[in-house]
Amino acid sequence: MAVPSNQHFFIDPSRCIGCQSCVQACSECDTHKGTPMIHLEYVERSISTQTTPVICMHCESPTCAQVCPADAIKKTEDGVVQSARKPRCIACNNCVLACPFGVPKMNAGWELMTKCDMCYDRTSEGKKPMCATVCPSQALFFGTFAEIEALRPRSRPVNEFRFGEQLVKTKVLMMVPRGGLTEVVDVTAAMHGATPQRTVHLDLMMSGVFANAAEGK
Amino acid sequence: MATLPVDELKIIDFFGPHLAFMHGQSTDTAIVPDKLVKTHCCFCGQQCGIQLKVKGNDVIGFEPWEEFPFNRGMLCPKGVKRYLQGAHPDRLLKAIRRDPQSPSGFSPMGRQEAIEKVAAEIQRIQSAYGNGAIGVLSGASLTTEKAYLMGKFARVCLKTPFIDYNGRLCMVSAGVGNKKAFGVDRAANPWSDIVGAEVVWISGANVAECAPITTNYVWQAREMGAKIIVVDPRITPIARTCDLFLPIKPGRDAALFAGVLHLMIENKWIDGDFIEKQTVGFDKVAEYVKEWTPTKTAEITGIAEPLIRKAAEWWGTAKTSFLMHARGIEHSSHGVQNVLGSINIVLASGRIGRKNCGYATITGQANGQGGREHGQKCDQLPGGRDIFNPEHRAYIAKVWDVDEKEIPGPGVDAYEIFRKIDRGEIKGLLSLCFNPKVSLPDSGFVQRCLEKLEFYVAIDFFLNETARHADIVLPGSLQEEDEGVVAQIEGRVIKINKAVDCPGEAQEDWKLIQGIAKALGREKGFTFQSPREIFEELRIASKGGVCDYSGITYEKIEKQFGVCWPCPSEDPQGRPIDHPGTVRLFEPGTWNPIAKGAGPYYFPDGKAHFNVAAYSPPTEDVDAEYPLILTTGRVVSQFLSGTQTRRIGPLVNQYAEPRIEMHPQLAATLGIKDGDWATAETRRSSVTLKAQVVATIRPDTIFIPYHWSGAKTANRLTIAAQDPLSKIPEYKACACRVKKASEPAYVKTLEPQQ
Amino acid sequence: MRIRAEKLKAAAWGTFAAGVLLVAIGMGSRSLAHFDAALVAYTFATVFATFGIIYRYAMWLQRPPTAMYFKRGWQVFLSPRFLMRNLAVWCQRLVLTFVFNAFIFRRGRARWGAHWLIMWGCLIAVAITFPLVFGWIHFETVPGHLDRYRVYVFGFGMDEFPIQSLKAFILFHGLVWAAILVIAGVMIAMYRRMRDHGAAAVQQFGEDFLPLILLFAISITGLMLTASYTWMKGYAYDFLAILHAVTVIFTLLWLPFGKFFHIFQRPAQLGVAFYKDIGQRTQQACCKRCGEPFASLMQVRDLVTVEKQLGFNYALRPSPESDAIHYQEICPKCRRALLALAQGELRAASTGQQRWQ
Repeated sequence: MAVPSNQHFFIDPSRCIGCQSCVQACSECDTHKGTPMIHLEYVERSISTQTTPVICMHCESPTCAQVCPADAIKKTEDGVVQSARKPRCIACNNCVLACPFGVPKMNAGWELMTKCDMCYDRTSEGKKPMCATVCPSQALFFGTFAEIEALRPRSRPVNEFRFGEQLVKTKVLMMVPRGGLTEVVDVTAAMHGATPQRTVHLDLMMSGVFANAAEGK
Repeated sequence: MATLPVDELKIIDFFGPHLAFMHGQSTDTAIVPDKLVKTHCCFCGQQCGIQLKVKGNDVIGFEPWEEFPFNRGMLCPKGVKRYLQGAHPDRLLKAIRRDPQSPSGFSPMGRQEAIEKVAAEIQRIQSAYGNGAIGVLSGASLTTEKAYLMGKFARVCLKTPFIDYNGRLCMVSAGVGNKKAFGVDRAANPWSDIVGAEVVWISGANVAECAPITTNYVWQAREMGAKIIVVDPRITPIARTCDLFLPIKPGRDAALFAGVLHLMIENKWIDGDFIEKQTVGFDKVAEYVKEWTPTKTAEITGIAEPLIRKAAEWWGTAKTSFLMHARGIEHSSHGVQNVLGSINIVLASGRIGRKNCGYATITGQANGQGGREHGQKCDQLPGGRDIFNPEHRAYIAKVWDVDEKEIPGPGVDAYEIFRKIDRGEIKGLLSLCFNPKVSLPDSGFVQRCLEKLEFYVAIDFFLNETARHADIVLPGSLQEEDEGVVAQIEGRVIKINKAVDCPGEAQEDWKLIQGIAKALGREKGFTFQSPREIFEELRIASKGGVCDYSGITYEKIEKQFGVCWPCPSEDPQGRPIDHPGTVRLFEPGTWNPIAKGAGPYYFPDGKAHFNVAAYSPPTEDVDAEYPLILTTGRVVSQFLSGTQTRRIGPLVNQYAEPRIEMHPQLAATLGIKDGDWATAETRRSSVTLKAQVVATIRPDTIFIPYHWSGAKTANRLTIAAQDPLSKIPEYKACACRVKKASEPAYVKTLEPQQ
Repeated sequence: MRIRAEKLKAAAWGTFAAGVLLVAIGMGSRSLAHFDAALVAYTFATVFATFGIIYRYAMWLQRPPTAMYFKRGWQVFLSPRFLMRNLAVWCQRLVLTFVFNAFIFRRGRARWGAHWLIMWGCLIAVAITFPLVFGWIHFETVPGHLDRYRVYVFGFGMDEFPIQSLKAFILFHGLVWAAILVIAGVMIAMYRRMRDHGAAAVQQFGEDFLPLILLFAISITGLMLTASYTWMKGYAYDFLAILHAVTVIFTLLWLPFGKFFHIFQRPAQLGVAFYKDIGQRTQQACCKRCGEPFASLMQVRDLVTVEKQLGFNYALRPSPESDAIHYQEICPKCRRALLALAQGELRAASTGQQRWQ
């Protein structure tokens, strides 16, 4: 069976609250029970509570599969890039290092790469992936284009990403502001941005004892 | 004798908390569950729908329940991993008694023998010191049936006025505030009203971590065009991307609301028509807020003036809005004032009782709502009735088939029960679903009180930190081992369904309670055969009260995915009706038993009440000696005192031990780096934890999550100051100081969760 | 053009290997003197399989990542400084990885049991049948001692033992033991595949069931042959022999295509281990964004080369704020963060606000 062609995965990292529900639920999936495949990390905890869930984006031409020396990574006809084939994977780590999104995980003990397979045990049966079902902020959403359009009037989905000179097209879509003109998300441009500022400030009126102490008075 | 029987480390060795991970059937990807049980999560007040996978007599996993309308399959990490509390190695399978000779400090005993011993001790204490020498502590995570039974048990069977519950630490400020302003204590609107509101105001609520599912409602509101205002001393995940963030100094909420109302009046951003026709008391409030100029408000709250002005403007000029608050404003010695302040800006705006015009408190505990409705509060009788109201007493006496005079008068709040123990007025204690040694402020005092008890019986499924002091512990039931109703965050009464039987000699809590009643020879009124029978009596007991459940049945709950109270069984003329429940309160033209048609609010005149919400600083403000504000709260992976969540491995691994959150500016002045050990000290005690240096907290404030026990408990530090009306303790603000420390001794002897 | 050249090259290698095999058969069987004509079908299937396997192997080795690893693997293995150490480690890994399948044991007990039994069953069977088919081994009674057998390997007499001995029993029933191991392994594998929901989601008939069915068919028909001549006076022996031949020949022909090809690919695992060893001992690449080491510099550089060969271009546009010139210099953790940051940039641009963080 295959993932229904009208069902799509939409991600919106700006909604993420870092609760790790997706991580905990991911380890309940039958294709990788006990081992979560999704990544959820703080972007830079010392300055922000921003977190980001990273699932496999299921590239149309997956870099991971191409750099695999063992031909171990295959895409099924529904566009899902599967975990490495167990008989073939030789645990070389090429995919882990080459994936532009940082998705594959190396399980050293098993000598096997494992990665998000869009909960193939669920999606191939017409269910939603575990992470997108439980996600309390719906930073991870699984459904149809009609559904996402109705739910997110301020955003629109994009599935082309630029990394330096390389353009990567993916099955999974990311929500970007509707107003913007970009058709391609320039991921590596974010690398060189000036020191990020917050829209949310600790705009404080400091008075009393501590203010003096903090200012070294 | 309620001192610890042996060294606490030995008790921990035997009874945990130890960690449970997926094992056996839960890791087996070949297993087909026998059944999926549609029920609800056992943790927070949102009560998300969930399906438990059952194999044999074990819960082996979960499956999202996407049809349940509130959460549509969404769950937080606690909900996902909640099933790991079943078949846990720490589970109490037998009754145990205090035994200093035993290596663990306890010896097993037969359940019946234990119940008889409990009854004998209660009898001994009551005949020696009077009926009031027994105190009962109950909980708001219990089903409403159990909560109802506990109130009845204390008053009718034990004949003591001294029962109170741990909702005292949770919801009571909101409860009192709501009753004073609206005459009824329930979230006024369903959560669906959040989506479509123009402005969503969130005060003192770490929504993303404490009510994660609510996040989606807030984000959805924003997608539909809402502006989000968050008031918090920390940039919590919900605050990170909000449209307006007011970084308030802990404990100053009443000042902020007064300042906002001042600006609303000044700019005529108020609904004069609504105020005139639907409310009373506005003039006094207007008079009070006159002094709260933006400048003064900014100075007191620590929020820059332009932000306050902007917030007032957005709030004042919105056409629709939703205001939510939680413990951040309620956990204060002026909690009721803070709540009333927030209600005042809602009432002044006139935006309540309509679609997308809402106000709610975010309930904390599983049955935070239902647990505070039917009589386990010290001053309350079922149906939200008052224990000092002769009419109410008479009605309940009739339902209970007792003489009205036999029902004791009002008792005291949970903390006062401990003070009574300290003074020697209460000699014996029965606790269920309450872990005060972790959850009450100034926990050193709580421990000293426990040690003074002549007899202490605890009912629990794990040996929680307080129960370590018990003379006898009766093995109770997990949520999935019993059935009953709870009222969730929106006032929706929903049904908890039984998935598995109690293991070993463990038994449903209500059966244990009835067992004690029987052993005391006072079993009249305690011969229920099922939760349904208790519910049927509760329906009658609540009939005609504010919290009217008389029209709710288990079947209606299942059919409608829950029923919001009030749901009367009869119309005002006394004719039987099939009421669908009340999803939104205060809709124009609605009838209630207090106003009797005079208006939608639950006062005889049918009008909402403005109350002067006067600001005063926290009981213990900062000074030169203790220059920092300590505030406490939750993390998403843990729940309350951690009795359950500190035993679930994946949740503990997510955030293993409490840390002291502090601003880099503060850390720099103290010479502390991220990950260093630091000691936070107050006038009560000190704790040494690792520092988490983050720029997402006010530099004058430190934050410690409170779910841990012993040397790691934040509540060693907190102050036992309470709100004079609600008696809620002031967890959110006390004075403290911090210094760099070296590795504490407990690191070598305790695992993170212990 | 490139593909065609690769194919030609691979075909040449395949032909060469098949030729070598034919020559070996000729010589090993002393110019077909010991060649069993009944086994001619098997022989041709084997020759075809050899061509197919070598062809595919050669194609595989020509893929840029494989070629890189093949080259590097031998380079690091044969590097004079570490050769002795490498040999010692190789022996150790051979035992753990190959003899015991330790890594599969860690993936799951049932999976390991199935694989280990099937692998050893097949190895024993191959070790017996191929030399027999090619005439590389044959048995003769010792002249003058009709109760004794002598073993000839490549035509040279090697060992001698009595026909009635336990050794003879074990030796002559070698294929029976192999079949029992394979059947047990197949049973475990089938049981797992039928029950396990995770396996059920991703398994495919051709990839996962067909090999098991083939192995089972070979083993069971082989056992039936033994049963037929041992207990049933050769009942239906000819039919069974053909059936058995069909299963074996089909499997041989299938070898280069399906799951069985991992038998030939898998040894690369040992080479990769040495690549990783040397990677750990040599300079590490530090992420140009966070500064943390995340992989061996050798592997990062090799990947840059391989990606270029594959037609990817992850070169970064020059920026005054970073000296990173290739996206491969950014660690996976930073890559994960970048996606969210990039989205934040777009939000900030669209609202005219500063970015969220």
